[in-house]
Amino acid sequence: MTRSQIQGEILKIFKEEFEIENPGLDDDLRDEHEFDSIDALELLGRIEGILGSRLTQDEKKQAMDIRTINQIIDYVELMAQKRS
Amino acid sequence: MQRRVAITGAAAITPIGHHKDEIVDSLVKGKSGVAPLREDDLLSGYIHSKVYGTIGYPIAYDFDRKYRKTMGPVSYYACQVAKEAIEAAGLDEAFLTSGRVGVAFGSTHGSPTIQREIYKNFFSRSQSRFASVGAVDYLKSMVHTTAVNITKMFGITGRVIASSTACATSSQAIGFGYETIKFGMQDAMVCGAGDEYDTTTVAVFDNLLACSTDFNATPHRTPRPFDVKRDGLVVGEGAGAVILEEYDRARKRGADILGEVIGFGCNNNGGDLILPSPRGVSEVIRLGLENARIRPDQVDVVSAHATATKMGDIIEAKAIHAIYGDLPYVTGLKGYMGHTMASCGVIEAIMTIYMMAEGFIAPTLNLEEVDERCAMIRHVTELQESPIRIASVENFAFGGVNTSILIKRFQ
Repeated sequence: MTRSQIQGEILKIFKEEFEIENPGLDDDLRDEHEFDSIDALELLGRIEGILGSRLTQDEKKQAMDIRTINQIIDYVELMAQKRS
Repeated sequence: MQRRVAITGAAAITPIGHHKDEIVDSLVKGKSGVAPLREDDLLSGYIHSKVYGTIGYPIAYDFDRKYRKTMGPVSYYACQVAKEAIEAAGLDEAFLTSGRVGVAFGSTHGSPTIQREIYKNFFSRSQSRFASVGAVDYLKSMVHTTAVNITKMFGITGRVIASSTACATSSQAIGFGYETIKFGMQDAMVCGAGDEYDTTTVAVFDNLLACSTDFNATPHRTPRPFDVKRDGLVVGEGAGAVILEEYDRARKRGADILGEVIGFGCNNNGGDLILPSPRGVSEVIRLGLENARIRPDQVDVVSAHATATKMGDIIEAKAIHAIYGDLPYVTGLKGYMGHTMASCGVIEAIMTIYMMAEGFIAPTLNLEEVDERCAMIRHVTELQESPIRIASVENFAFGGVNTSILIKRFQ
């Protein structure tokens, strides 16, 4: 999956699941879009769907400092690489 | 410090209507909100009672996702009535977020719809389904879910009281909210409760042989409080909210005062957790009057708990008679909508406020022939056009919890 494809998937999730349309890729999601820890956990569930495999507890904890769409894409790329 | 407590906002979602006009119309015309029990994949097939006090109309919610994400069905009801009551009262954001406003709101047991989904996952013995228990399932289903979803939606930073005493939940919420303002701890309280459509509650009462079963083919004819043919309660759903506000503050800002809470009595039977106690019920009525500093003959109307169970109605009628004699009118509003569980107290209080405003007393629906064992009180069997100065709203719950709220018309 290319970075562009991952970005498309993530933005689609943000629009459909979180009702956040076209966030800036470097927007602080918490400050600018009220994206909170509840949303982050829901997002991890959706990322598992993109990856086609479950994330471990440690991998989920790694995601807790993520603040931007670009960081989410980095994270998904990293998790995909680990599984390839 | 003892301060007066005004009611400056009210809203209800009930089986007989959503807004005041609809509810009053149903009360005046004797419309029932009891409908056939919906089929589900859980319990409906095993339950003998096939009737339910149903919200059978759509509700246009307009909540942002940031609020929706922690709300189960019960919180949708609760937040909607809270929103409408706050808007009706005209409370502004600065006051709501000042720390001087609190919330007293409850439900019987959070959101059973969400709990059911959690249990389905638990009992599936599937690792993937277990892991799919959502991060927000607890927030949606916990006992104080209604109260804190309201605080979140309106940025309310004062006290939270999340009563959960079955059928006394919302009357306790009003009573505790009243005391909180009376004694100066808050200047306003959003009080009430909600309960969503739930067949597990029906199953509990059905297994206790306390549910109505004789009118499954004619749901509108049951429940029948105080009637000789009553055969048990009808579980219902709904929600209600009232805004209680310190009287002088409400006057100063020119609020539309719907009534005044002048007294609250609350006690426990100290024994059986199911059967009402004649002593406990009459004592709570006495406590309410004492708290309001009024005589029994000053009460014009009693909104009785009157669930239409065989024994409960007799015990309540005797307790009312023991304190009031046959002076006040007595109406059983559950005849219209069944027993809306946690929300019954606030819904019946709101209906009482509406009757006060409009100058009528709704008859006990389906009371066609008074059971002679309940005949010692002044039943309302026909619509009465009569001013109400003071009303008492009585509610009793499993666990032996009893409440009595005294409401006075604003002059």
